Amino acid sequence: MSAGPILWRLAALVLLVVFITKPELFAPLFEPLTINNAPAIYNQGSLLSLTLAHLGTVFSAALASAIIAVTLGIFVTRPSGLEFLPLSRSLVNIGQTFPPIAVLAIAVPLVGFGEKPTLIALFLYGLLPIFENTLSGLTQVSPLTLEAAKGMGMSLRRRLMEVELPLALPVILAGIRLSVVISLGTATIGSTVAAKGLGEVIIAGLQSNNMAFILQGGLVVALLAVLTSDALMAVERFAARKLGQSPS
Amino acid sequence: MRPSISQRVRSVIEIQSLTKRFGDTVVVDDISLTVDEGTISVFVGTSGAGKSTLLRMINRLIEPTSGRVLIDGQDTMAIPEDDLRHRIGYVIQGYGLFPHRTVSENIATVPRLLGWDKKRIAARVEELLDLFQLDSGEFARKYPHELSGGQQQRVGVARALAAKPALLLMDEPFGALDPVIRHKAQDDLLAIQRRLGTTIMLVTHDMDEAFHLGDKIAVMDQARLLQYATPAELLTRPAEEFVEKLVGTAERPFRLLALGKVREAVEPGAATGKPVSASATLREALSQLLWMGREKLPVVDADGTPLGRISIGGILAHGRQPA
Repeated sequence: MSAGPILWRLAALVLLVVFITKPELFAPLFEPLTINNAPAIYNQGSLLSLTLAHLGTVFSAALASAIIAVTLGIFVTRPSGLEFLPLSRSLVNIGQTFPPIAVLAIAVPLVGFGEKPTLIALFLYGLLPIFENTLSGLTQVSPLTLEAAKGMGMSLRRRLMEVELPLALPVILAGIRLSVVISLGTATIGSTVAAKGLGEVIIAGLQSNNMAFILQGGLVVALLAVLTSDALMAVERFAARKLGQSPS
Repeated sequence: MRPSISQRVRSVIEIQSLTKRFGDTVVVDDISLTVDEGTISVFVGTSGAGKSTLLRMINRLIEPTSGRVLIDGQDTMAIPEDDLRHRIGYVIQGYGLFPHRTVSENIATVPRLLGWDKKRIAARVEELLDLFQLDSGEFARKYPHELSGGQQQRVGVARALAAKPALLLMDEPFGALDPVIRHKAQDDLLAIQRRLGTTIMLVTHDMDEAFHLGDKIAVMDQARLLQYATPAELLTRPAEEFVEKLVGTAERPFRLLALGKVREAVEPGAATGKPVSASATLREALSQLLWMGREKLPVVDADGTPLGRISIGGILAHGRQPA
């Protein structure tokens, strides 16, 4: 990687950190977007704590999605679980096609307002990319390699842990990245059901017709998404390089 | 039987009425044969003849429908699958090296499964790299994708030999190599086999390879074993027309010459010209005589002592159909 992109990312990171810790420094920039002397900088809570809450929600949901989707992906690629493949696919697909906002609507009466419905919506929404990538990662492991592993007397468990999963890792990581990036954006709707997160800023902007708030919330979410995606891509590249694959 | 210097780990393989059916199709039909310890048996035949299936029933990658395989008198069905496979080296076409592991880690696979301690594994890996002429400083830490085809092949065989298996199964082990490297790789395998005395069962569809490597050759066609004999017997007394055709009628005399050594056709007397080694094959000697346009050439042994001479007439007598 050349120095250029690294510098850009570093600049984006610095911008993000300064913005969420000292947003008032940027007030002059946002003032032209306000009307009727409305505040230029979000003032109903600290951007830093909202960002941390946002990240917390997204990563817990992604972690749960990853654990379930990878486990399910492993299970349905074993001979004993093969017959559950179509069923699992349909279930995971429903999770993706069902709009998160509808999940919120259904979940709130069941689990109440706050974090929980958001976590459920993000968890369901994030399953598909991880599940599909786990499947394609595991099925693209060379049959020759597996034949050799079996022929040398590696047990089923060892073949999975020492051959299949390491070889599928870059593809699985790509699925996790996709899921996390989608969730970072989607998590903003959680604020409609009183989950703490950056959606609050955007919604406050919408309610008070304050363009500056909307832009601030959007900007922070966008920067988070870009930086997270970059970081996870670097991990993928590292994993792929060990396998002699060119980074995708 | 071939002499072995070190690591005398050998084994007799007895195959008894081995049969494999997939549904109504018979893939291996009632095959019985014995592979002597320390020898190379080569299984040849057209594709779909059942050679690979036969081989894969030895290490139980495929379960036989009926029949038995005995290794040193022990029924393989009585040994747990993975334990059995730890004791049998297995090399496939394309090798199936682990792309995420270094050359050293690949070679160390079976010793690690067997729970050898680190020191012993490291020493064994070093020994094998040396045996296969792979400089450990250069290759030990490389990944398979950084190796040439020939180097990958050597790592594949080294990995199969790591835990000193008594038996080595090889399924088209040279199939992925280009012809130039292939011949060298075959020579290297022969040399290593002679040194270690490992019993080898090798599957190929290449007749030249079979004659080059085999102490015995098993000819298979449509799931059946047509003939299991020494290369010379296969040439001079083919059991069936198919064997004769597979061996190649036009190449028969040359194959026979390639099996004989100059030592066996030495005549008394002297000759001038570039001497021929007594350990060369008759085919090589004939080729040299023809190329140099001579009737006779002197013969010397390995340390250069003259043994006599070899003549075209003398060689031709060895390539003739036996009376």
